[in-house]
Amino acid sequence: MIKVDHLSKSYGKTLAVDDLSFEVKTGVITGFLGPNGSGKSTTMRVIMGLDHPTKGGATINGKRFNSIKWPLREVGALLEAKAIHPGRSARNHLIALAQTNSIPKARVDEVLELVGLSQVANRKAGKFSLGMSQRLGIASALLGDPEVLLFDEPINGLDPEGIRWVRELLQSLAKEGRTIFVSSHLMSEMALTAQDLVVIGRGKLIADTTVKDFITSNTETMVLVRSPQLAQLTEILKGLGGEVHSEDDGALVIAKLDPAQVGDAALKAGIAVHELSPQHASLEEVFMELTSESVDYQGQTRIEEVAP
Amino acid sequence: MTTTMTPMPSTEHGSAGFRHAFVSEWTKLRSVRSTWICLVIIMIAGIGLSALISNLEAGRWNTITLAERANFDPVRFSQAGIFISQFVVGVLGALVVTSEYSTGMIRTTLTTVPHRLNVLFSKKAVLGLAILVVGEFTAFASFFVSQLVLVAHGGKTLPANATILSQVTAKSIPVVSISSPGVFRAVALSGLYLVILSLIAMSIGFIVRSTAGAISLFVGVLLVIPLIINILPSSISNHIEPYLPSNLGLAMVVVATRKTDFAGTLLGPWHAFIILVIYAVIVMAIGGWLLQRRDA
Repeated sequence: MIKVDHLSKSYGKTLAVDDLSFEVKTGVITGFLGPNGSGKSTTMRVIMGLDHPTKGGATINGKRFNSIKWPLREVGALLEAKAIHPGRSARNHLIALAQTNSIPKARVDEVLELVGLSQVANRKAGKFSLGMSQRLGIASALLGDPEVLLFDEPINGLDPEGIRWVRELLQSLAKEGRTIFVSSHLMSEMALTAQDLVVIGRGKLIADTTVKDFITSNTETMVLVRSPQLAQLTEILKGLGGEVHSEDDGALVIAKLDPAQVGDAALKAGIAVHELSPQHASLEEVFMELTSESVDYQGQTRIEEVAP
Repeated sequence: MTTTMTPMPSTEHGSAGFRHAFVSEWTKLRSVRSTWICLVIIMIAGIGLSALISNLEAGRWNTITLAERANFDPVRFSQAGIFISQFVVGVLGALVVTSEYSTGMIRTTLTTVPHRLNVLFSKKAVLGLAILVVGEFTAFASFFVSQLVLVAHGGKTLPANATILSQVTAKSIPVVSISSPGVFRAVALSGLYLVILSLIAMSIGFIVRSTAGAISLFVGVLLVIPLIINILPSSISNHIEPYLPSNLGLAMVVVATRKTDFAGTLLGPWHAFIILVIYAVIVMAIGGWLLQRRDA
């Protein structure tokens, strides 16, 4: 379990994280979502003991990072994929990490196999593509078989096959009862991968919920209808309190009514319906809307700063 | 994934400490090519330049004055190559730290240990031992090769109780034996000088965290500060010069019984050694304090 408790972190005058509190539960994947620069990486660095909090703090299984006796065996993290000495082989890199926590060398080959880097294990890490570096970073996080795992943007630089691999890996790790905390700026990816969500913008908590609740509470379901008797149907639906929009291709999109209500009304009036389907606003749109305030505000501040 | 994995040793006892970090740092040091390049240059440049200087000095023997003959120091000439080696030692010491900062590796390293100072201590111990082996090898090899060069020029070994006077009056180039008074100490301290400099360079690396900055600062301390001090009035510079790191190094290789023109302005060899160690401890304390205090 990871607990972030009233965490604030400022760099000089910039407040990167602002009184942030949330918990990451065991056994599920928690997505950490926010636009670029919203404080996700800073929060993760504080959790991993790299940055000192200005106020508040974070604990892993109830302990501050620096009181964990065998860090790699309790918490694994992929923070920056390219944070590797370019002249050292992937294998030696992992061996050096394993030695710090008394992890058997056999594990090095096992995690290399797991992430699919066995063939290139003796190649210099500097020659790796971003995707291979991500895999090496994931291997180092898994090295100590830790209960808690943090991944900062693990799918950056991966091809679609790699993205699916990461998604499945995270899901299988969660099923083993681990705590998985994974950041992303892509809502769509989190919707597929995570069960819980922590959304931040400008360092502040926007939402701490499940993906399911997040979608239902933030998306308005619309209904799309096609019918040869559009004008008649429009009148009836408006009468029921629906907001009706006509699409260019002749379809109607109705808000504030659910598909059952629309279908029943059409049947009652004897109107033929050729298509009746629920429409979800895309998660990306919801996410953009939710965080737009913070992003916009950032943009404005910049303009003000630039103006004389 | 756990089913096929090697079981972990128990986490109940102990913690990821210095011993583990030490083994890891050794793996890191030996697994990059730049380490071996630096170590080879330290040896080749050190031994080569010592032999070259000894050769040049020996070639001048028949043309120099008696006063110059008094200053002919077979031990000091034999350690002349350390002047070059010390910069390579500094580069390696800085790189061990700054390459981790420039790549971001330091953040991975720090997430493996509960106590940051163990990163500093283990790096110091590993590099210190490596430079101890290579530095002492370089110093002793330089000494023996240089004495062979002098012998090749017709040099004769001075008797154990030889003074500067007997050196000046002797007809042949003086050659010293490792068993002559103070010689072993001078050569051994020459190797230790490299060890301490590598540790100082490493501390500078922790302080400035950039390769270019750390190397510049290191070279500046060894080369530029002496030049600045030299410009000052001698009433001031005379008091500072003996304490400059480069002069402390020189003092460490001077054989007390063979006092030369430097002798009056330098500290005693052990005195110099202790001052240099104190410098190393001070910069290490600053580096360690900053490592603890700063965000990584």
